[in-house]
Amino acid sequence: MEILQVKNIYKDFSGLEVLMGVNFIVKANEKHAIIGPNGAGKTTLFNIISGKYKPSSGSILFKEKDVVGLPPHILNHLRICRSFQITNIFQNLTVFENVRAGVRSQVGMRYHLFKTPDRDSKINARTEEIIEKIGLTEVKQRLAHELSYGQQRALEIGITLSSDPELILLDEPTAGMTREETEEMVKMMRSVAENRTLIIIEHDMDVVFSLADTISVLHNGTILTSGKPEAIRNDPKVKDAYLGEE
Amino acid sequence: MNVTTIFILHGLVYAGLLFLVSSGLTLVFGMMNVLNFAHASFYMLAAYFSYSLLIWTGNFYLSLIVCPFLLFVIGAAIERFLLRRVHVLGHVHELLLTFGIAFIISELVKWVWGTAPLPVTIKGFLDGNLNLFGTVYPTYRLFVLFCSILIGLLMTLLLLKTRMGIIVRSAVDDSEMVSALGVNTPKVFMFVFALGAALSAFAGVISGPLLSTNTGMANTILVDAFVVIVIGGFGSLIGAVIASLMIGQLQSFGVLLFPKFSLALIYMLMAIVLILKPSGFFGEKK
Amino acid sequence: MEKRIFKSIWIWVLIVLVIMVSFPLLAKPHQVNLLTEMIVFSLYAVSYNLLLGFGGLLSFGHGMFLGLSAFTTGAMLQRIPGLPFFGAVLLGTLIATLVGLGIGCLLLRHKGAYYALLTLAFNALFYAIAIKWQKVTGGDDGLPIKRPNIHLGFTQLSMSDVTVFYYVTLVVIGCALLFCWYFTKTAMGKTVLLLRENEERMQFIGYDPSISRLILFTFTAFFAGLAGSFYALFFKFVGVDAISIDMTTTALLMTFIGGTKHFFGPVLGAGFYIYFQNFLSDVTDRWPLFMGILFILLVLFVPRGLSGLIQSLVDHLRKTKN
Repeated sequence: MEILQVKNIYKDFSGLEVLMGVNFIVKANEKHAIIGPNGAGKTTLFNIISGKYKPSSGSILFKEKDVVGLPPHILNHLRICRSFQITNIFQNLTVFENVRAGVRSQVGMRYHLFKTPDRDSKINARTEEIIEKIGLTEVKQRLAHELSYGQQRALEIGITLSSDPELILLDEPTAGMTREETEEMVKMMRSVAENRTLIIIEHDMDVVFSLADTISVLHNGTILTSGKPEAIRNDPKVKDAYLGEE
Repeated sequence: MNVTTIFILHGLVYAGLLFLVSSGLTLVFGMMNVLNFAHASFYMLAAYFSYSLLIWTGNFYLSLIVCPFLLFVIGAAIERFLLRRVHVLGHVHELLLTFGIAFIISELVKWVWGTAPLPVTIKGFLDGNLNLFGTVYPTYRLFVLFCSILIGLLMTLLLLKTRMGIIVRSAVDDSEMVSALGVNTPKVFMFVFALGAALSAFAGVISGPLLSTNTGMANTILVDAFVVIVIGGFGSLIGAVIASLMIGQLQSFGVLLFPKFSLALIYMLMAIVLILKPSGFFGEKK
Repeated sequence: MEKRIFKSIWIWVLIVLVIMVSFPLLAKPHQVNLLTEMIVFSLYAVSYNLLLGFGGLLSFGHGMFLGLSAFTTGAMLQRIPGLPFFGAVLLGTLIATLVGLGIGCLLLRHKGAYYALLTLAFNALFYAIAIKWQKVTGGDDGLPIKRPNIHLGFTQLSMSDVTVFYYVTLVVIGCALLFCWYFTKTAMGKTVLLLRENEERMQFIGYDPSISRLILFTFTAFFAGLAGSFYALFFKFVGVDAISIDMTTTALLMTFIGGTKHFFGPVLGAGFYIYFQNFLSDVTDRWPLFMGILFILLVLFVPRGLSGLIQSLVDHLRKTKN
């Protein structure tokens, strides 16, 4: 099933054209990586899919429904969730509260004046589960700003996961990480992405080739080519545009 | 004697005063994203300094020079030692600080000069009337108008033609970029903040013989200045000019036509603009 | 983060309760009055802090809710003969809440300086109206108010009695404060923190910041209104001061001085402010200067306020004990 169809997305910022006709398809449960040189528009694309920006034109079909222009919180309810390249967490709340915020939103306990999350065992259990998955159980009562960079990146994913997404968008999750941290992160992402569709923006080719079953290359505002990792690896056009820059 | 002309002139005079106060306010907000609640306090402080200086020396023209200079220094000190400290704690904190400064200045003024309104009188050439194309109009008011226009022109020259002016305009537009280009942005901020204070001070001095010098004068002009920068757009000097003219006429004719509601009208106008077009008519969306 | 001094916070609650209940038996009437005033302003300041400390929203219009409710309470008591005590309170609180809802809807998309300015504009607007609408508000002269007695069927509570009024205030406002405290534990109370911490991210996990802001604003307007009607009944008078910007800045000062990071900070701040207002105004007319200087010192050096200082002291003592 094609869970996401990106059709002819154009985006310009006051004349500066960033995306000039992006087309690609993501199948359900696929692990889809988007690669491309810096400034190609990858994060802008994510911002459009996740509702932060409206495209200048084009449509985005999620499970056959056009979701272009919907605000981020509605897209979240549809279970499209994203993480951020620059860590975007709730600094002065504990790890537990960071994750629980998303969990309780997912079960609809958002604005209640008479329900207390502390008392809800289901929500708290789900939260513990997710925290365990991201490996932060030991520090779950620590304030987010007290965590190390790697832990904060893990929390970043945890928050994304807390909304129980069908479609996860991860924006450079391993940015700034050491080799060991990256390996840990890849393991985590594999477990997180089980039974879900994953789209990941990455620069680290090792991560891409170990996680993705499909790769799209974004270059000059359009998708240069899409395909299986081996095909992309050997594609001369891609080598010219990107891999050749190494 | 055309009554309408007189009221139009009244409106222009007040607009001039308003522009002097709001120009600094809008530049500071546009550049530093700080809404300076103490801006009108500089206006008030200068008016009170001027009152004392007048009693001391009898020379009004001296106040015109000394007070703005004094407030320039005070403004620079406030930016350098207080505002900058609090910058890292966030916008809310900056607002709290400027509010606190305004509060303290207000209380200090009450303490030193008392709560009764103070009379500031002018003698000599400025105290009289001029015959302007058949309309007799107080000389002093024309003087205020003249000063505002002169300063407005000087500012335009400064901003358009000098290097400092270009830097300031760029910083209002995009301070991060300016900093990335190697400009010493803290210094620019301090300069603009101090300049705004000086302009406000100048307005305060010339307001003395025109309006009442009292402990509520800061709040009165502050709200009007806020309305001006909201309507004109945060960061826009042209907007400040146009909005000042509008508010000036509204005040002038409002008091004449709707005496009970003129005050409320202005706040409603600000609220409407904020709701419908938050960036004002000329401002950038922040 | 709630930190405890004794093992359980309930011991503290019990101590405070005992003190509050026995106070009139041990103190003079004017002291009881002072404490009543502190209780009323505690609610006002706490409601303001839910906006500022918990929600991260700097409002310059909180005074309009206190004032609107105060004037409504007073005006209704004047016009409706036989209006019961709690009827007047209800009407005042209701008006403040409805206005809060209405204005809150206009504030949906605004933040930071815009929020401050818009709330300021509305406060100034209501103030201007209050001054001019003399028929209802009494204009510069204000509205005198007579406290209606509370009829309980078998007996009657004489509200003109200082002690009786104190106990009624203690119970009603006390419950209101308790509910506000409970609020911070509810889902909405937690959501409000997200608003303060990271409004962008909260959207991406499914929260609508505009709705959150609206609910919070209306909620705090309700409690400011409740405080407002008790304000009117306490002073037996409402003047335009009640709806002035000064009333708003009073909230800001009390809240910030007490400390915005703890729920009970504003309670401390209100008590401190009113006590020193009472104490210092005998000494000098310029006691607000003292508050202003304290405020600035706190903004610059101790943003966590007095409650933050106490917290640090307690932590320090606990560390040295271990």
